[in-house]
Amino acid sequence: MVRSVTHVFVLLVCLSLLYVTTVSGFDFSELENSVTEFTLENGLKIVVLERHEAPVISFVTWANVGAVDDPKGYTGLSHMFEHMAFKGTTTLGTKDIKKERQLIAVEDSVFLELRAERKKGRLADSAKIKALEAAYDEARDASYEYVVPNELGNVVEREGGVGLNAGTGYDLTVYFMNFPSNRLELWMSLESERFLNPVLREMYKERDVVAEERRMRTDSNPFGRLLEEFLAVAFKAHPYGIPVIGHMSDIQNYSRPAARAQFEKYYGPSNLTVAIVGDVKPKDVKKLAEKYWGSLPYRPAPERIATVEPEQLGERRVVLEDPSQPIYLVGWHIPEGTHPDRPALEALVDHLGQGRTSLLYKNLVKEKKIAMQVAAFAGFPGDKYPTLVAAFAMAASGHTNEECETEIFKEVEKLKNELISEEDLDKIKARTKATLINQLDDNQGLALQLAGYQVFWGDWRELFQELDRINAVTAEDVQHVAKKYLTKKNRVVGLINTEES
Amino acid sequence: MRRNITLIMLFALVLALMTLSANAQDVEKLKFPKLSELKVPEIDRVTMDNGIRLYLLEDKSLPLFHVSVRVNCGSHLEPEDKIGLADICGTVMRTGGTAKWTGDEIDELLEGVGASVETYIGTLSGGARVNVLSEYTDLGLEVLSEVLRRPVFEEDKIELAKVQERSAIARRNDDPQQITFREYRKIIYGANSPYARHSEYATINSITRDDLVAFHKTYFHPQNVQIAVWGDFDKTALLSKIDEFFGDWERTGEPVSKPPKVDYEYQSKVYYIKKTDVNQSNIVMGHIGGLLTDDDYADRIVMNNILGGSFGSRLFNSVRSREGLAYAVFGVYTANIMYPGVFYNYASTKSETTAKTVQEVIKEIKRIQTDPPNDSEMRMGKDGYLNSFVFKFDTKQEVVTRLMNYDFYGLPEDFLFQEKENVEKVTPNNVIAAAKNNLHPDALHILVVGKGEDFDMPLEQLGFGLVDTIDITIPSAEEKKELAITPENLKKGMEVLQKAVEAHGGLENFKKVNSISIKGTYLLSVRGTEIPIAIEWLRVLPDKNKSVMSVMGQKIMQIRNGNSGWKTDQMTMELTAMTEEDIADDKKNWNRSTIHIFASSDNPYYQAVYDGTGKVNEMPVTYMELVDKDDAPLCRLAFNSETYELVGKFYYDETPLGAGTIEETVSNFSQISGVKLPMTTVRFLNDQKMSQTDIAEFIINGEIPPDAFAKPE
Repeated sequence: MVRSVTHVFVLLVCLSLLYVTTVSGFDFSELENSVTEFTLENGLKIVVLERHEAPVISFVTWANVGAVDDPKGYTGLSHMFEHMAFKGTTTLGTKDIKKERQLIAVEDSVFLELRAERKKGRLADSAKIKALEAAYDEARDASYEYVVPNELGNVVEREGGVGLNAGTGYDLTVYFMNFPSNRLELWMSLESERFLNPVLREMYKERDVVAEERRMRTDSNPFGRLLEEFLAVAFKAHPYGIPVIGHMSDIQNYSRPAARAQFEKYYGPSNLTVAIVGDVKPKDVKKLAEKYWGSLPYRPAPERIATVEPEQLGERRVVLEDPSQPIYLVGWHIPEGTHPDRPALEALVDHLGQGRTSLLYKNLVKEKKIAMQVAAFAGFPGDKYPTLVAAFAMAASGHTNEECETEIFKEVEKLKNELISEEDLDKIKARTKATLINQLDDNQGLALQLAGYQVFWGDWRELFQELDRINAVTAEDVQHVAKKYLTKKNRVVGLINTEES
Repeated sequence: MRRNITLIMLFALVLALMTLSANAQDVEKLKFPKLSELKVPEIDRVTMDNGIRLYLLEDKSLPLFHVSVRVNCGSHLEPEDKIGLADICGTVMRTGGTAKWTGDEIDELLEGVGASVETYIGTLSGGARVNVLSEYTDLGLEVLSEVLRRPVFEEDKIELAKVQERSAIARRNDDPQQITFREYRKIIYGANSPYARHSEYATINSITRDDLVAFHKTYFHPQNVQIAVWGDFDKTALLSKIDEFFGDWERTGEPVSKPPKVDYEYQSKVYYIKKTDVNQSNIVMGHIGGLLTDDDYADRIVMNNILGGSFGSRLFNSVRSREGLAYAVFGVYTANIMYPGVFYNYASTKSETTAKTVQEVIKEIKRIQTDPPNDSEMRMGKDGYLNSFVFKFDTKQEVVTRLMNYDFYGLPEDFLFQEKENVEKVTPNNVIAAAKNNLHPDALHILVVGKGEDFDMPLEQLGFGLVDTIDITIPSAEEKKELAITPENLKKGMEVLQKAVEAHGGLENFKKVNSISIKGTYLLSVRGTEIPIAIEWLRVLPDKNKSVMSVMGQKIMQIRNGNSGWKTDQMTMELTAMTEEDIADDKKNWNRSTIHIFASSDNPYYQAVYDGTGKVNEMPVTYMELVDKDDAPLCRLAFNSETYELVGKFYYDETPLGAGTIEETVSNFSQISGVKLPMTTVRFLNDQKMSQTDIAEFIINGEIPPDAFAKPE
């Protein structure tokens, strides 16, 4: 008896040694063991991480749809729908859904007629347009009579919800909010209902709001202006080159039926992933999810674009003459986030342009003082598809984009011609470990990560593999990806030169 | 938690149910379990012998160690001519090395293990943040103690910080939102207020290493320091480590002065800042805000949520959702502890709906004073606060740093619980009362940043009076301070002038001067060569003037006789008529002449403004600025501060050698007919020597040839 116990004991000790943390390892198993996942019959996936530190819960609904899925002529439509998802449902946000529905139908038909007449351009009948405009205003005002504005937001806030917001990217649309832990069922009800019975009310006014958002982020902002030009030049085929917020003329052209169609196509439950982190019990989550989310009807998986950005035939460059101070941006094409070359590229950008000990900071900021700010990053603007590694620099006053570019290229050449030292590589790995552990400290951040990895990798566990992937990178790997991707032909440059007033 | 459903809601519920499909939910029906009693974690408080106050909160859920340090100092303590000093000090404490390590060595040490230690100095407080994996706690604490206690401010890193500050100044007008909030604070608090002021090239350039060392030395000592720690540690071991690194920090220094009060006058005014590379206007309107300790603070919390908090607030509903005018819109009456906050109402809208948006926002500000919140609004504004209360305690960081701050300000530990109790009592009438007492829609400062030519209506027509256009051009480094033409300075200026007149012979003697005849040498410095020019000059008051310059065998003449005259054309060497401009130039020259200035001192054609003291060639001087009746500059005089003898004269002029500031220094005084005047004048143009005049003969009221001002043959 004693021998077998000792035997087992020795075995356990040996097993535990397998989990001993190396200098840059970390044992994520405790965290992993707090995660539960399940899939409903209609395809909706839910990932739950239990954390009872505080009586709060962070919720993320991740829709696997983004700007890359916008239909032609309707750029920015996915983002438009994200706005619409705050407008309520058949029960929330209305004084009388039956009447409202009728008036919405009228509003839509008048709008479509008006839009069709406007599209005739010079051949349009101006009297007809005037009449339609008046009819449209009347129809819109009539339908708004039955709206209870922002009732969703109102309910969330009064019930103690905080951080209610959403975001659209190229690859994703995420909806998030946080509640005290006794509001689990409220979230289940509100959130599932949003994607079961959305009513896209106040659509045409919200279009104006989106136009203002575009004016704020892009038109009236130097960095926004540069970014839009840069991406357009970097991607000639793939929709990463089209702005997430959409072109202004497309925004002005949105119709409710088009937004509805986008919703129908991409918001089926099998295209949604829910991540919940906080003070919950998985069995409660499962029960409530089946009750509320279970009623979403199954929809087949939507067709995805197959467009692959072709290899560049030569460096591309766009130069803006702008009242703003100089801004410099350079990118190189790299594979998508799940590609085996990516860990080496992550190590590369860390060494090149993250932190005060990075190559770019030491050269441009500390030594030569030609830049006030400089950085490098990978996976821009998206990560589901082949994307970019990029660096940007803001020249110090009295210095130029040219000076910054020369030094940036010099450092890039170093990465191609020299192996980074083992010491530097260890430091990169140590930083990655610290970053990953710090990320675990925030419920909402963690929920976003879990949902993201579930969607991009097909398995949330890949989040916890990230450190192992980085730890496996060698100096040769870094030099190899530098040589492979950071070439002149593969390069895109965008910059703002200050125009003479 | 049982929900109380009023009769009205029940009725609505029934109605709603009649139109529902089988699957639709109704949130009003949901019942929620009670939230467990809020347990605020216990924080260990320790005061060290030298006065440092510690706040410790253990949390072993992750292997992370965090520190937040608060230091009682801030940029409100920096001198006016060195704005940016505190900020740079805060930066270079971390980047500029310490007694033990250079700045670069610290960067390597920390980034090598993914650790961070950062220092900063803000307006009212400074501090540091440490974030490390708990296995590196000792390193984190040691670096922290080094940067706080023993920074060496390496010159190279000071220069780096200055480069970054200057670059930030250069970029500060690129982003319209940044412009808007920066300028608005100046409007509310005053451009020179520590709560609004910002650095300029001149102030950055004036900061020296000595300044940084002195600032740090004055304020960074134990009784000004509080340290909050949370994360993975053991109390005993930690206290021992903290004692090792901070225990021998000596308690020195005087108390820190309190931040200044704010002088505010309610006023209705419109301001415009032109920005043309935008198609959207940034609009802010409001006035001064309140203090955290005000009686109706809790009422204002609810008022803020209803007026412009977030989704479902009045501003959001009307300006954004109903009118579609803006994406970003908010309204909030803020309060601080040490100084009043600001009542901000912000919206950004396309240029063509600027005026309309201003009017919509004002409507809502007025409405919250008269239109009581309905049930739905009260639930959102009040219940929202109460139901989300748990989020004020959901991270260790906020719990422990909050306690540290409350301790500093002398607020009770249960301040938030008291606040909650007060919010629980707020009624719709309280909200209206808070709005009536605190909001002044008739006294709003309205700032619009945008492209005026595209506005739907000129801002003058808004009905708030004239529009003040603010020029945000970034001043160059050499920008002179503005001259303060105040009654006090005018009085003092006249006193100085009268003393100077006395020192040079007295008003009577100057008034007797009717003609001046000068013979001498004018030495011209051009490109390293000096060219001597013989000069003869005759002036008969008030408007006759003849000058003859002989250079390299050529004579160059100018004869002014009243409002006309002749001059030698320097291209053809022929006599030609003096232009109006030439006459005006001569008048200007005469107006700058010392004799004319002194003789007119009892009935001046100028204003004499005292402008401080300084040094010219190591001599202490008193400055006097002469401006004409329209405040346009004439010249600046420098008098010996003790004897009131003229030392120098400065003015702007356009010369064949270039345009710029002329600096004249005078010497070699002689007594002529009762007046004392300098015989030597040296002139510099833009810091380069331009000329020197040496007078050999100086006659006052001498004989004047009869045809002195006739046209020569």
